[in-house]
Amino acid sequence: MVRHSLRVVASTTKVNLIMTWRFFSWTGFALRFFTPIMTLAAAWVLYNVVYGAGKLAPGFGVAVGSSGYISFITVGNAFYVFVFAAAFVVGRVMFWERATGTIEATFMSPMSRLAYMSGIMVAAATNSLIDFAAVFLLGVVFGFQVALFNAPLFFCSLLLTAFGLFGIGLITNAVTLTFRDRTTTANSLMILFMVFCGLVCPVEFMPSWAQMISQALPLTYGVRLMRASLLDIGTVNVTYDIVALLILDLIYVVIGAITLKQIERNLRKKALFSVF
Amino acid sequence: MFTRIVMAEALKNLKVYFFSGRTLVWALILPFGNGLYLYFLYLPFATKSVNLQFNAATYTIDLVGFTIVGQLLYSFFTMMLLAGASFESERWQGTLEAVLLSPANRIALLLGGALANALNYIWMLVALVLSWVAFIHVSVFITDLLALCASLGLSYVAIVALGMCLETLFIYSRRGGLLVAWLQEPVMFLSGQIFPLQSMPAFLLPFSYLLPLTFGLMAVRLTLLGGASIYAVAIPLVALASMTIVFILLARVLVSYAERRAKAKATLTQF
Repeated sequence: MVRHSLRVVASTTKVNLIMTWRFFSWTGFALRFFTPIMTLAAAWVLYNVVYGAGKLAPGFGVAVGSSGYISFITVGNAFYVFVFAAAFVVGRVMFWERATGTIEATFMSPMSRLAYMSGIMVAAATNSLIDFAAVFLLGVVFGFQVALFNAPLFFCSLLLTAFGLFGIGLITNAVTLTFRDRTTTANSLMILFMVFCGLVCPVEFMPSWAQMISQALPLTYGVRLMRASLLDIGTVNVTYDIVALLILDLIYVVIGAITLKQIERNLRKKALFSVF
Repeated sequence: MFTRIVMAEALKNLKVYFFSGRTLVWALILPFGNGLYLYFLYLPFATKSVNLQFNAATYTIDLVGFTIVGQLLYSFFTMMLLAGASFESERWQGTLEAVLLSPANRIALLLGGALANALNYIWMLVALVLSWVAFIHVSVFITDLLALCASLGLSYVAIVALGMCLETLFIYSRRGGLLVAWLQEPVMFLSGQIFPLQSMPAFLLPFSYLLPLTFGLMAVRLTLLGGASIYAVAIPLVALASMTIVFILLARVLVSYAERRAKAKATLTQF
């Protein structure tokens, strides 16, 4: 059973990677960078032209350690590409299966649905790594500097965040499939993560109601761990963040798996698989 | 006849999209989230105001008001970007050929679509502004009501006119959605929505001045939050009025070209 699932993961990953690179879209690729570039450029203008370094809030230095403002923003934005992968790739798999008329065949096969979705996430995460590196390179242009490189923490934060986003991708997929939605859910999810995960300001600076929302999102902890691994931030409680991230990952993946199963059962019963 | 087509197209789009997830997301969730995102971008700085320089005068504007006005007008612009999506829907449903076979005036069709999207958003905009003023206590400083009305009105018509031009992209290409998605972030950056225009790098300013949103933001922010008079915002108002005329004429040329080309290449219904 495990071996079979691993084969499903491997083959789905391979198919998706081939499809991505065989039909590579430069326009789609570039589009993924627009938000990070705009945020970096806006942050650069605010920091260097509008206010200047002297105008940073007193608590900012404590919250972000020795790293500069631009480095702080760059790490936050690099994570944006993973959210994009979870929301727009994993979150819309079944939508496109339905649109291309292959959803019935996919669900007729005896493979594990979770393994299939994992394969898609692995392919999306692999592609996202390229985007991830590209955002860091763009950050260098704007002034990004690495204060230290804690490799175990860096890769741990990447892996755990991707796992949590996979769970969220599963839930999004179920919603998208049920409501025959194309971009609404994915866009809403993107904005939720962008706003509340501390991508552009430390979570401690946000209003208390926003902090409560941010605590329920795995990306909040992932970004904080990533920053701790690159920017020498002494105030981060690494153990707490890793445990919190693990717990959230499990919750989201379990909810995602259950939702996917329920949706499949419901669509079969109501014969709604290929109705488009 | 022209008015009837505008009304029919607007009514059709209102019926289809008013009570839809799309309107809820694009007119409420995304503007709210995006506004918060931009506001949070300012939080690391120890300031709660923004200095707007225009015509040798400096206006100190409340940060929340600056962000809210910027986001509301920008969201109106994105609703105009989306107006063309109705043509995409027609293409998906296989009815685009029938629409373009009819003798209906094309400008009326575009205007109807743009007006429907404007109406989808405008009620939300009014409700949001009133609730923000009431609950967040945004510092509104109006000294010339006529200047504010002119700024809002001219921004509205200029952006609708630009929306009509952009709608033609959806007739011209099946990648219209992608093309307008490409415009969103650059326009957000160049228009001065995120930071005051005087801080824009000089080499980008010519691009900023091509956008009605730039002048709209300038005029509305100054008259609503900075207490500027109609004389102080005369330049942006004249620019908005000129752009309205230019964009309507341009839409006429573009729709004719897009339709001719799509028909010649038989791409109206291919998906």
